[in-house]
Amino acid sequence: MADRNNVRSLDDPNIWVDTPATIFDAVPPYPPRTEREAEFYHLRDGELLINLGPQHPSTHGVLRVVLKIDGERVVDLDPVLGYLHRGVEKICENGDWHHAISNCDPLEYVASLFSEAMPVLVAEKLLGLEVPRRAEYIRVLTWELNRIASHALYTGWQALDMGGLTPILYGFIERDEIVEMLAALTGQRMLFNYLRIGGVNGDLNHDFLSRLGDWMSHAGTQLEANAQLLNENEIFVRRMRGLGIVDREAALRTCLSGPVLRATGIPYDVRRAHPYSVYPEIEFDIPTRAEGDCYARFMLHLDEVRESIRIIDQVLHEMPDGPVMAKVPRLIRIPPGRAFIAVESPRGQYACYGMSDGSDQPFRLRIHDPSFFNLQIMNSMLPGNLIADMMAIFASLDPIMGGIDK
Amino acid sequence: MRQHGDTTEIRVSPAHLTEVLRRLRDDDEFRFEVLADVAGVDTGDEMWVVYHLWSALSPDWLRVIVDGLPRDDPRVPSVTALWNGAEWAEREAYDMFGIIFEGTRDLRRIYMPPDYTSFPLRKDFLLPDDAARSPGEGFRHMEQAHQPAEQLRDPRLRRSRVD
Amino acid sequence: MSVLTRPWGRLTLAGKVILPLLLLLVLLTVGLLAGWSIGLLPWLLDLGLTIVDDNIDIVRFVVAATAILLFTVPTAFVVGFIELKVIAFINSRIGPNRVGPWGTLVAVFHGLKMLAKEDFTPTGADVPVFTLAPVVTFLATVLTLLVIPFAPGLVGLDMNIALLYFFAISGLTVVGLMMGGWSSFNKYSLLGGMRAAAQVISYELPLLLAPVGVVMLAGTLSLNQIVANQAGWFWDWYVWQQPLAFIVFFIAATAEGNRTPFDLAEADQEIVAGFATEYSGMRFGFFYFAEFVNVFILSALMVVLFFGGWNAPVDVAPILSGLGITINPALDPGSLGLGLVLGLLIVPPLIILALTLPIWLLKSHWSFLKSVVVAFILFNVIVGTFVGLWAYMSFETVAGLFWFAVKTLTFVFLFAWLRGTLPRVRIDQLMGWAWKWLVEIALLNIFLTAGAILLIQELGRR
Repeated sequence: MADRNNVRSLDDPNIWVDTPATIFDAVPPYPPRTEREAEFYHLRDGELLINLGPQHPSTHGVLRVVLKIDGERVVDLDPVLGYLHRGVEKICENGDWHHAISNCDPLEYVASLFSEAMPVLVAEKLLGLEVPRRAEYIRVLTWELNRIASHALYTGWQALDMGGLTPILYGFIERDEIVEMLAALTGQRMLFNYLRIGGVNGDLNHDFLSRLGDWMSHAGTQLEANAQLLNENEIFVRRMRGLGIVDREAALRTCLSGPVLRATGIPYDVRRAHPYSVYPEIEFDIPTRAEGDCYARFMLHLDEVRESIRIIDQVLHEMPDGPVMAKVPRLIRIPPGRAFIAVESPRGQYACYGMSDGSDQPFRLRIHDPSFFNLQIMNSMLPGNLIADMMAIFASLDPIMGGIDK
Repeated sequence: MRQHGDTTEIRVSPAHLTEVLRRLRDDDEFRFEVLADVAGVDTGDEMWVVYHLWSALSPDWLRVIVDGLPRDDPRVPSVTALWNGAEWAEREAYDMFGIIFEGTRDLRRIYMPPDYTSFPLRKDFLLPDDAARSPGEGFRHMEQAHQPAEQLRDPRLRRSRVD
Repeated sequence: MSVLTRPWGRLTLAGKVILPLLLLLVLLTVGLLAGWSIGLLPWLLDLGLTIVDDNIDIVRFVVAATAILLFTVPTAFVVGFIELKVIAFINSRIGPNRVGPWGTLVAVFHGLKMLAKEDFTPTGADVPVFTLAPVVTFLATVLTLLVIPFAPGLVGLDMNIALLYFFAISGLTVVGLMMGGWSSFNKYSLLGGMRAAAQVISYELPLLLAPVGVVMLAGTLSLNQIVANQAGWFWDWYVWQQPLAFIVFFIAATAEGNRTPFDLAEADQEIVAGFATEYSGMRFGFFYFAEFVNVFILSALMVVLFFGGWNAPVDVAPILSGLGITINPALDPGSLGLGLVLGLLIVPPLIILALTLPIWLLKSHWSFLKSVVVAFILFNVIVGTFVGLWAYMSFETVAGLFWFAVKTLTFVFLFAWLRGTLPRVRIDQLMGWAWKWLVEIALLNIFLTAGAILLIQELGRR
């Protein structure tokens, strides 16, 4: 039971006092270690430190943000990460290259085929392995399905963070069909564990194809219903338009990627910038928008879903026959080398820098998650907005804590 | 300078890093405006910091390796003046390896708790040793965060002999 | 027997329900036995009756108030159920369907669940204020039911300043919200309480200004009189004469009741549960209870002011007299004679059969006998209520209640519909709308109404 006498009053000008901190303080109980910390934890008159804690109904995962607010306005914020840190990179170093696949799966748990692609593509690049074309096409198909599923969820929780209870359920209707489809193919609804070094784990089966056919006939209708519900909705638009504007210069300097970057007008998409897999042979556009606000990001996600449906269409038509897995030894020993690969995940550029030292364990798998960098824009974008805006902006950045915290 | 397939690799010393990256970013013939990744590496002998850049002029990646950092005192100038987004990546490299980036305003631990004593991704980090040494040993409630760990040791508990 | 010495917070759910009843029972028994044995009982009864006769007004008021307080409980259950089901259907879900028949008992069990939860006060909270906050909010909401006319003659207290009383009392909810926000030793609650207070206060102005037009048309603040003035066909209702006032009132009522799109006070995506973050158990139950009852009350007020209250949309009196049908205001079974016997033999089985068929067809896995039993129970419930109401109240009362309930529940449905569809408005946009738009439109409406009344009087004079 904390002693009531230890509670410091709000008028106390001296923050760094000797009384021990109680559970009511967001201020850390040690002196500031960096100048940024000192600047942040120095409260002016009327400012309040509020802890948007790791347990919160609406931070997408366990993110703790210490907000410095003045009334309703956010003056400054300090995100505290690490609540979901699982030591993925270290664990990958202790296991096999194959173990790394299922280990990296939960990094982007919403669209996990992209995070699985990390060790797979790095190993293939280090080995110089040629993946069969059918496997490449299947990969692209499942990647795009995953992208649509992730964007369906995004539109849902963008509205949910603003109080609309319905769009997330419509998004889940869309996602549920896709996820059931992928479960018929991979055996799992969420953490698929489907990509393998050299191909994919198993060919397309009849169940998957029939579900895919059914789904293609009404692809994206739920998302269009969502769009109908929200795009012209006065309340929604007024809360999102002009909010959280990111300009091009700031976007490049903050190393953003993905829809957040494309909404500012920069057409950087890894599928076109540094083509991998069979993307050079597929025809699709890169949707961009120029305003850079939350509404632009929201509309951009819907545009990307339409592009993904186009890609899936082409892939289905041009799918070649052949094996789905290259001839790879059971125990993969990769000659020493370094490689860097990047894929375009629903959140941005998902990159991995892999080093191998000749043994069967990866020497270093450094995973660069787009949400990690995208989240940094909050520090510059958020001050001056209201707390309610903070939730809207935060949702529009589409962060996944699994990747941020690794 | 080395070519690895579709990636060009250059090695830079820490002193020249800022200048090289600035030239690469601002020069019109390079225009490496996209910083794709900042990574720390512990090669066992020494520490590296690896930057990956991309330019709109070519589809290849450029890898800039800052090598030769000693394992007990790795110091690298920070690139946050050029790219804001490198701030958290540098914090992560510090947290995981202990690489100190000079010139950042905010070099704190980002994943591990603020009073953690080891650097997890180093090659000499072993979990059982660390658990016995770190303040994480012994469960402490939030209200006791200010008390040093020694005060909490219950002499009746069996403790590991590893020191 | 240690259960009797436990404090309230340490009881289980069953304990919380049974022990007070037991206590009441014991007290009653002891009191009656003592009175009977001493011989005081007849004298006490006489004394009681004389007191009641002398102060019949006060007694009537007490009975009315108790009835209304008891009435809020099933109201909250009904409103809660409607909201859950409507939002579920909008979300393409089913909603609660296990707890009662088609999930109807879900709100009852939510209430019992609140009793079963741990009842604590957070460290550092201001305990008296913390305990009283839900009480104040609840009372401020429920006391307003005293003046709402449910049916002709069925109004708690027919004051001639009923509308003023209504707004005065409902303004006290702000006090309750602020108390709740401040006394829980929590920054989120403080923020939520401030937001809620700001919102409610801002929207009180349009809420008060909008019915002024209606008051001008009716010439009285008495709600009973306002409803009586709207008797006749549905085009006599005030909503056609005061459409602007209705729109303003509807928006202001949505904001007063903390309903989406104006529910920032309890926006659980932003500030957890706002001012009610630190509340648990029945205290939290009180806040939510108050909210559901508030929805009902605001709907009822809207119906009373604009939609004719307990009046039917059509004027039945001329039709009935035209057709020659007179409905006996009070039912007298003795006057029916042989017809009564036939009626009792034939009509109930017919009605039971009529009820069985849809049940048996819809619930195809039930046997016919099971459907007959269910239909029999349903028949008893419906006819029993109907006959009971008819016997103790006049037909007008029953009809009035029916129409009042239909209209009010339509508005409750409308509130739930809005909640399932719209996202939330931001606090500064919300305050902007109240102060920059609604107050102005309400004032404009008052001027227009006054001008129109004067104009019509002038034209009438000429």
